Amino acid sequence: MKRILALVLALCMVFALCACGNGDKDAKETDTPNETTYKVAMITDSGDITDKSFNQTTYEACKAFCADNDVDFQYYKPTADTTEARVEMIDQAVADGYNVIVMPGYLFAGAIVEAAPQNKDVKFIALDVSLGDLLEAGVTAKGETYDYEPDNWKLEDYVDMSNVYCAVYQEELCGYMAGYAAVNLGYTKLGFLGGMAVPAVIRYGYGFVQGANAAAVELDTKIEINYVYGGQFQGDADITAKMDTWYANGTEVVFACGGGIYTSAAEAAAKVNAKVIGVDVDQAGIIDGDYGDGITVTSAMKGLYPATYDTLTDVIVNGKWADYVGKIETLGLVSGDDPTLNYVQIPMDSTQWDDNFTKDDYKALVKAMFDGTVKVSNDTTAMPAVDENHTTVSDQGKIK
Amino acid sequence: MRKFMKNNAVQSILISVLCIILGMLIGYIVLLFIEPSGAADAILSVIKNFFFYPEGAVRTKYFGATLVKTAPLVMCSLSILFAYKVGLFNIGAAGQYVAGAALGIYAALALGCNWFICLLLATAAGAALGALTGALKAYCNVNEVISGIMLNWIALYSTNMLLTGVKNPNTPYTINISAKNPDALLPTLGLDTLLNNKYASVAIPLVILIVLLIWVILSKTKFGYELRATGLNKNAAKYCGMKEKRNIIVTLIISGALAGMGAAFLYLTDIEQWQCSASSVPAMGFNGIAAAFLGCLDPIGSLLSSFFIQHITSGGGYVDKTVYCSQISDLISSIIIYLCGFVLFFREYINRRIALREERELENALEAAKAEDSDNKGGEGK
Amino acid sequence: MEQAYAIEMLHITKRFPGIVANDDITLQLKKGEIHALLGENGAGKSTLMSVLFGLYQAEEGVIKKDGKEVEIKDPNDANRLGIGMVHQHFKLVECFSVLDNIILGDEPTSKGGFLRKDAARKKIVELSDKYGLSVDPDALIEDITVGMQQRTEILKMLYRENEILIFDEPTAVLTPQEIEELMQIMKNLSKEGKSILFISHKLNEIMEVADRCTVLRKGKYIGTVEIKDTSKEELSHMMVGRDVDFVVHKEEAKPGDVILDVEGMTVASKVHHNNAVRNVSFKVRAGEIVCIAGIDGNGQTELVYGLTGLEPLKEGKITLCGRDITHASIRDRNTHGMSHIPEDRHKHGLVLDYSLEYNMVLQRYFEPQFVSGAGFLKRKNIREYSDKLIEQYDVRSGQGSVTIARSMSGGNQQKAIVAREIDKEPELLVAVQPTRGLDVGAIEYIHKQLVAVRDAGRAVLLVSLELDEVMSVSDRILVMYEGEIVGELDPKKTTVEELGLYMAGAKRNEVAK
Repeated sequence: MKRILALVLALCMVFALCACGNGDKDAKETDTPNETTYKVAMITDSGDITDKSFNQTTYEACKAFCADNDVDFQYYKPTADTTEARVEMIDQAVADGYNVIVMPGYLFAGAIVEAAPQNKDVKFIALDVSLGDLLEAGVTAKGETYDYEPDNWKLEDYVDMSNVYCAVYQEELCGYMAGYAAVNLGYTKLGFLGGMAVPAVIRYGYGFVQGANAAAVELDTKIEINYVYGGQFQGDADITAKMDTWYANGTEVVFACGGGIYTSAAEAAAKVNAKVIGVDVDQAGIIDGDYGDGITVTSAMKGLYPATYDTLTDVIVNGKWADYVGKIETLGLVSGDDPTLNYVQIPMDSTQWDDNFTKDDYKALVKAMFDGTVKVSNDTTAMPAVDENHTTVSDQGKIK
Repeated sequence: MRKFMKNNAVQSILISVLCIILGMLIGYIVLLFIEPSGAADAILSVIKNFFFYPEGAVRTKYFGATLVKTAPLVMCSLSILFAYKVGLFNIGAAGQYVAGAALGIYAALALGCNWFICLLLATAAGAALGALTGALKAYCNVNEVISGIMLNWIALYSTNMLLTGVKNPNTPYTINISAKNPDALLPTLGLDTLLNNKYASVAIPLVILIVLLIWVILSKTKFGYELRATGLNKNAAKYCGMKEKRNIIVTLIISGALAGMGAAFLYLTDIEQWQCSASSVPAMGFNGIAAAFLGCLDPIGSLLSSFFIQHITSGGGYVDKTVYCSQISDLISSIIIYLCGFVLFFREYINRRIALREERELENALEAAKAEDSDNKGGEGK
Repeated sequence: MEQAYAIEMLHITKRFPGIVANDDITLQLKKGEIHALLGENGAGKSTLMSVLFGLYQAEEGVIKKDGKEVEIKDPNDANRLGIGMVHQHFKLVECFSVLDNIILGDEPTSKGGFLRKDAARKKIVELSDKYGLSVDPDALIEDITVGMQQRTEILKMLYRENEILIFDEPTAVLTPQEIEELMQIMKNLSKEGKSILFISHKLNEIMEVADRCTVLRKGKYIGTVEIKDTSKEELSHMMVGRDVDFVVHKEEAKPGDVILDVEGMTVASKVHHNNAVRNVSFKVRAGEIVCIAGIDGNGQTELVYGLTGLEPLKEGKITLCGRDITHASIRDRNTHGMSHIPEDRHKHGLVLDYSLEYNMVLQRYFEPQFVSGAGFLKRKNIREYSDKLIEQYDVRSGQGSVTIARSMSGGNQQKAIVAREIDKEPELLVAVQPTRGLDVGAIEYIHKQLVAVRDAGRAVLLVSLELDEVMSVSDRILVMYEGEIVGELDPKKTTVEELGLYMAGAKRNEVAK
């Protein structure tokens, strides 16, 4: 019982040290940046800035913008995969004087609901955080039960959006493009390997199925699609084994959709000279570099980089925060003529174009999608209907 | 002063402090090797933890956060030390903690129980797993470390299976309790406003009460007398008619209950959710071992050591991640714990120094007495 | 002509905080002699040997080897000077063979780092034959007797060609026969020119084997005497500082009712397939001391375990005060008239890391006087009770009731156990080797206590390996051999020789019913 003092002493020591440290902290805080000085912080979600996907792209965009415009930049990595840890990082960034905070990923909904109202001077830019995500966090924070029907709720009643901007992407569109391209490029046995069955991933997948089906109908050919979720955002031995089975049974190309899960698909594909389709960014460089040239057919891209870079430019350089604040913007097609301007696209350079599907065919597709001739459903509740005579979808649920 | 130094308790304190200081020092040296420029800042961040924030309210919030996370750690260290007093090394505390998490969360999300039932079920789950280890030890003579480690894995994967039923479809984690069944959250008793932290709950005062309770049981009661006797000398305990088998089982039941309750103290605040794809048991149970030993196997000591360990662990979050990884605080705390292994060595050293000095003084006194004799009385007083 | 000294310790003084453990002690060991070092527990024998072995540094005094002053800073220095020690608790690796243990620390290796045991084996066999040790170099330590283990230790010293051999209370763990053999070995060693320092407080052994004897008392040097010129009485007087009574004074026993009745007791053995105790029946009456005699390992330990409940019986029936306790729990027996002074006070008798007061209530902490209804210990009552026993039974310790039992001397630990067990006022006191490892003063004390218990009209069952003790304390002797009672003897009508024959299994008679 008497031994306790041990730690009392130790703690006293700690606090004494802290007390010393505080003085200069306060001093630093007095020269807080005035309104015109922006400092940008990015907070990672469950991944790291080396994930070759979501976090990395956002990080690179922020970093490039800040370097180009001479703005202070820092990234923060939460110690745990919890809302509490993410809020802690926001608090930390704010305490360090950062006033524009970029957050990639739907996981941040809870953190936004909690931290935004407490830090009115700070601008929050969240990517991939949807209305539903915000409502779920906001409604439960108020102690009510969310029914997953966004239409039943009013966002402003639950979430203070006065210093928040959110952007979501129409992943179904680029998924559609990738599926359409793959079938036109002559692949008839396709696979979809999702990460976790979250809305964005589902939209990609269902878009892919719709696109492939549309192409099959147009070409009057029969295609098969294997459809599965890995249940996680990293590849591992189990998932690789599943991919091996697919490829062994004739699958020609797999759309690997979810963070680092592409490693399993690419590893399996490399063994039998089969193909993969990348996601989020143009992954051709990464995948081909690691697993062999020509393995990546195309990538279903969402413009994380441009969205981040452009938003930061508008807010910080052009002072147009007012145009963004409070919105949950859906980023998709903005041009029917130049597909590269769109927030969802497939790469112009690295896609393995051939005579059956040329860049012009792609441009025509984008134009048709932009003007509404081609409609893509964004419903995530059920597998899209397909033409039974042309397309067979084998839904295999989850690997784990 | 010397008498003060000879005191067992004072020595324990000194040794713990020494371990901490040396641990920090070695940690600092390691940091210097990784990147010299940021080392001082980094170690300071670790020590400062919530003092990082200049502002009162946010600082309080993260003081609260540290307390919230300390609560389960204290419970785990109590679990370890309670068993250790009876001579059992309950490495299964980690699994008992997991079992507590499983039933606590399941009761909250799937059964819709209120917090009290959830807490009880979590405690019972830990106790049941502890009882299993105890029964294996008492009746089949299976070493509690072996069975504990095995049960840790069994508990982990069973928990993953059970809780997948209440998983959030969009994440690998269980649904937020606050979203599904706010009744299952531990009552806050106004602590959330006091500490400016919504996760602060009744767990914090409860932990302090339990620490005192364990201390009283161990040192003041017949039960504690029996348990400690069994731990110190099993044969003597048998010789004087104590029921050692029963004591082993009861001890592990209590030990498991403490760990299980610890899990409830974390998960029923909703600060964290269970990761249904977890492939290793949460470190909490093992950190409890560290806290128990740094606290010199004393309940109140482990309360303070747990806070300290959580303090520097949380502090690790404030280390500049562009220079160092956040595990740096784990490194420092593990060095501290490692140094605790030298406790006996330090104690020996202190005692030897005291003895040496006493001898020297004795000699001096003898010589002085002789000198005085030859000097006659009333010589130079100085 | 004056013989040369192998080792001389001149005017050694060693102080510890609070006490002077060795105060100006001189010990001179002649070449080829057996020199006994005699003293009670705590007289400073161990400290002196630790100084010689380099474990402690003396503040004053010098050590000379062959007339030259030497400095011994650590045990390695001692080894280099040819000083070897057989410790009371052997330092052997249980699962290694005798050979491996002997070469341990000094392994003969080939260039490639492989062990080369052939030469070592040859040397060991030679040494073994030369000194009549008859040790099998390939036997595992865990398989051989304590006596053999001790010889392994001796061989270890010889293998290292030590000239000065220290035996620290070597007979404490041996049976009478083994003691006899050890004495012979020691004589052989000295004949071959080895110098032996023999630490003991057993006067008979010193009288038998030693050439000279140095006596210490309370850290002071009392004197060195030639054994042939002295007597047991003189030595004990020097050791204790007063005359010691070797005869146990007691009245004629007045046996009363049967307190303990054992019928057909059979107890399984933990070490072999045969039963350790086979169909043993006997009775102990109020007011008598019944002694179970026998050579160690003939089932006495298991008999007591069966009796006190530490081991279950295979067959048989035990009746205590008319009540069948065959299946009673240990606690039940302890609270219904049985007290037990265990054979191994460290293993069973004490919780060494508990304070003395907590040890004093080990058998009754659960009684209402020491524990409240809510389960809290009544520490004040415990302290008072402990202080009372300490006072009454003269248990000496550094800090009284709060002393940690581990820090007490063996004699006082035993006194504490005796006090605790006797104060329970049992109907039956089972005392197993209650004087093992104690000095004469303590032995005398404990014998008196046993007689006092008997005279208070209670039954005493004494298990002893010491023939002197068996003969002088008991009223009736039961001899155990290979798990059976082979004879019942009256100490007044029998001789030590006859007793020895029974113990060796050479003779048996019908046990009186």
